[in-house]
Amino acid sequence: MSARTALGRGKPSPLLREQRVWGWVFLSPWVIGFLAFTILPILASLVFSFTDFRLTEPESVSFVGLDNYRKLFVDPLVKVSLGVTLRFALLALPIGIVLPVALAALLDSKWLVGKPFFRTLFYMPYVVPVVSAIFIWQGVLNAQSGWLNRLLRLVGVPGPNWLDDVNWIYPALVIIGLWGIGNAFLITLASMQAVPTAFYEAARVDGASAWARFRHITLPMISPVIFYNLVLAVIGLMRYFEVPFILSNGTGRPGDSTMFFNIHFYKTSFVFFDMGYGSALAWLLFVITMVFTGLLFYSARYWVFYAAGEVR
Amino acid sequence: MTAALAVLAGAALAQPVTITWFVGLGAGAQPEQQAAQDAIVERFNAEHDDIRLEIVYVTNEVSVTTLSTLIATGEAPDIVGPVGGAGSAAFAGNFLDLTPLIESTGYDLSQFPEAAVENQRTDEGLIGIPFASFPAFLYYRPALFDEAGLEYPPAEIGAPYVLDGQEVPWDIDTLTEVAKRLTVDANGYDATEPEFDPTQTVQWGFVNQWAGAGAARQNVTLFGPGLLVDEAGNAQMPDNWREGWRWYYDAIWTHHFMPSADEDGSDLLAAGNPFESGNVAMAQSHLWYTCCLSGTEWDAAALPAYDGEVTARLHADTFRIMRQTDNPEEAFEVLTYLTGPASMDLLAVYGGMPTRPGDQAAFFAALDEKYSQGVNWDVARAHVAFADVPSHETPMPNHNRANDRLDQFKSLLDSQPGLDVDAEIDRLIADLQVLFDEAR
Repeated sequence: MSARTALGRGKPSPLLREQRVWGWVFLSPWVIGFLAFTILPILASLVFSFTDFRLTEPESVSFVGLDNYRKLFVDPLVKVSLGVTLRFALLALPIGIVLPVALAALLDSKWLVGKPFFRTLFYMPYVVPVVSAIFIWQGVLNAQSGWLNRLLRLVGVPGPNWLDDVNWIYPALVIIGLWGIGNAFLITLASMQAVPTAFYEAARVDGASAWARFRHITLPMISPVIFYNLVLAVIGLMRYFEVPFILSNGTGRPGDSTMFFNIHFYKTSFVFFDMGYGSALAWLLFVITMVFTGLLFYSARYWVFYAAGEVR
Repeated sequence: MTAALAVLAGAALAQPVTITWFVGLGAGAQPEQQAAQDAIVERFNAEHDDIRLEIVYVTNEVSVTTLSTLIATGEAPDIVGPVGGAGSAAFAGNFLDLTPLIESTGYDLSQFPEAAVENQRTDEGLIGIPFASFPAFLYYRPALFDEAGLEYPPAEIGAPYVLDGQEVPWDIDTLTEVAKRLTVDANGYDATEPEFDPTQTVQWGFVNQWAGAGAARQNVTLFGPGLLVDEAGNAQMPDNWREGWRWYYDAIWTHHFMPSADEDGSDLLAAGNPFESGNVAMAQSHLWYTCCLSGTEWDAAALPAYDGEVTARLHADTFRIMRQTDNPEEAFEVLTYLTGPASMDLLAVYGGMPTRPGDQAAFFAALDEKYSQGVNWDVARAHVAFADVPSHETPMPNHNRANDRLDQFKSLLDSQPGLDVDAEIDRLIADLQVLFDEAR
């Protein structure tokens, strides 16, 4: 006899059945949307990836087996675009994770005056539409007339060509990216403010310095949020598209330094209409993202601390 | 029973054929443009019992993906347009050759200038009837010439220029010299003077206005027409275009009279609308640039010659019949209606110069109301006869990829100093060859 039967719950009551039905009814818009607009396109792209489907020549689709996947290994732009994405990630990821924590720590400080003002100030850029923000930054970073170089010139420093120099384009992209850290900053701050003050008081009694309190109390306590931000940041980097696409019109300028993987994928699918190979590129991106996310989840057991006492 | 079937069959036969007109690849999808087109559709339907015309508007930003999706799903429209050569080239292979329909209906092409008809011819055949023409010519700012003590460029094609009191041919060399004198830095030095500081340029001599993404070939047509693919289907860079690219690159990085990519995007050049900024003395652009040029401090002049020949880019928007149509005859009837009886109303909506010479006076009268300075529109009209044939918008094998590679090439020249242009051209040709071979 199962536990369910023993508890008298083997056969759901009419009320429970009705509630379940209504539950599904209320869930159905999302479920139908998920099936129609997510699962179906995913499955379709899997099928496309084994064909030579071109959007403008639908009548001549044929099964090509693994040809599109083989092409991934000989297409030079796959290597280039993955390299670009990885190089940018090495620069952007640490900054994108550390800065929200640093800003949150600053806003959490009891010495800071005008916290609501700064909180709003740091979050506000996040609500600016991304395309508008990119155009604004394009102006700010212009080597000739941009504000940043004007300021640098005021102090006698000739500003670099931020957007057209292969050595400066990644710092420029990072600067633009910092515009959008408001969300990560806010949830980090909320997490920081949720750390029980008793921990800090006990540490103070034990003579712990401010840095020691931050290192041994704050960081472990907010590690789930850092982990969350990290996972989102990695996925975001794999999907990185709008900023380089708008800045360079998808040319990869300067050189191939902004030829991110998603730009290669987008152009293949929607500019060159090569939906078969584009689908293979999408699946490669999916696999890589899953691998990185899996590695992060695996590593989490060693450094993410959950308040319930378990380290997973 | 038989009679009833006959009635039903008769009713079925009497059903009008539906022709779908897709608007959005070029002009026409703006809300303020739709009412006039809707009225034309209504008028057409009122006049035709056998054809029902339906119009579909798609905003320009999503028109390419929408049309490609419609084609992919077997729902391709019958007619698309207005669309220019560049927009059409993205869908090369999807348009119907009109030649058999023109021959079977006896449609008279002699009403259009021959160059305008040839401009519509591609490897697929004649894929359009001339409708709206946008010849390129030279826009210039007289005040900047006055300030530099220079004569204005000639209005007549082939006429000489007076430089330092002497008549010289109005050619690329003269344009280069004049453009350098019109390029000025913040300290007032021009680009011919040794003290000139190119990092402090505040006024440029010349630009190819809006010849950027998707239109790289526009930047070398001053050096004559050309094709990047030879008769055997191999990639090539015609000698005149090779020289054109060298000149283009030197204009930016050696002589500094053309803005680099970064300068082009600066506030000094209206963040991408350089001639409009007032800080550029001369711009090669098409008649369509009047869309976005305010003020009256400008005039029109002749393009310079290269090797004794003047070549003027020609953009020609028109309507095309998709090869997927089930009803080519009916689609052709609609096409000739749009480019015929409805053309003046549509041209007014799109702002295009009628390709039929007889219809042009009314168009320019309307432009004169906008530009009270008295622009010499004969300049624009005259350049149609010097259209680049073959067109710089001629589709290439594997066109979208090849055009993308060209964009990368131009972007490199625009943004990177110190390049070996010939080596970059050779790299471009090698890459184009790979792309062309893929299409074989």
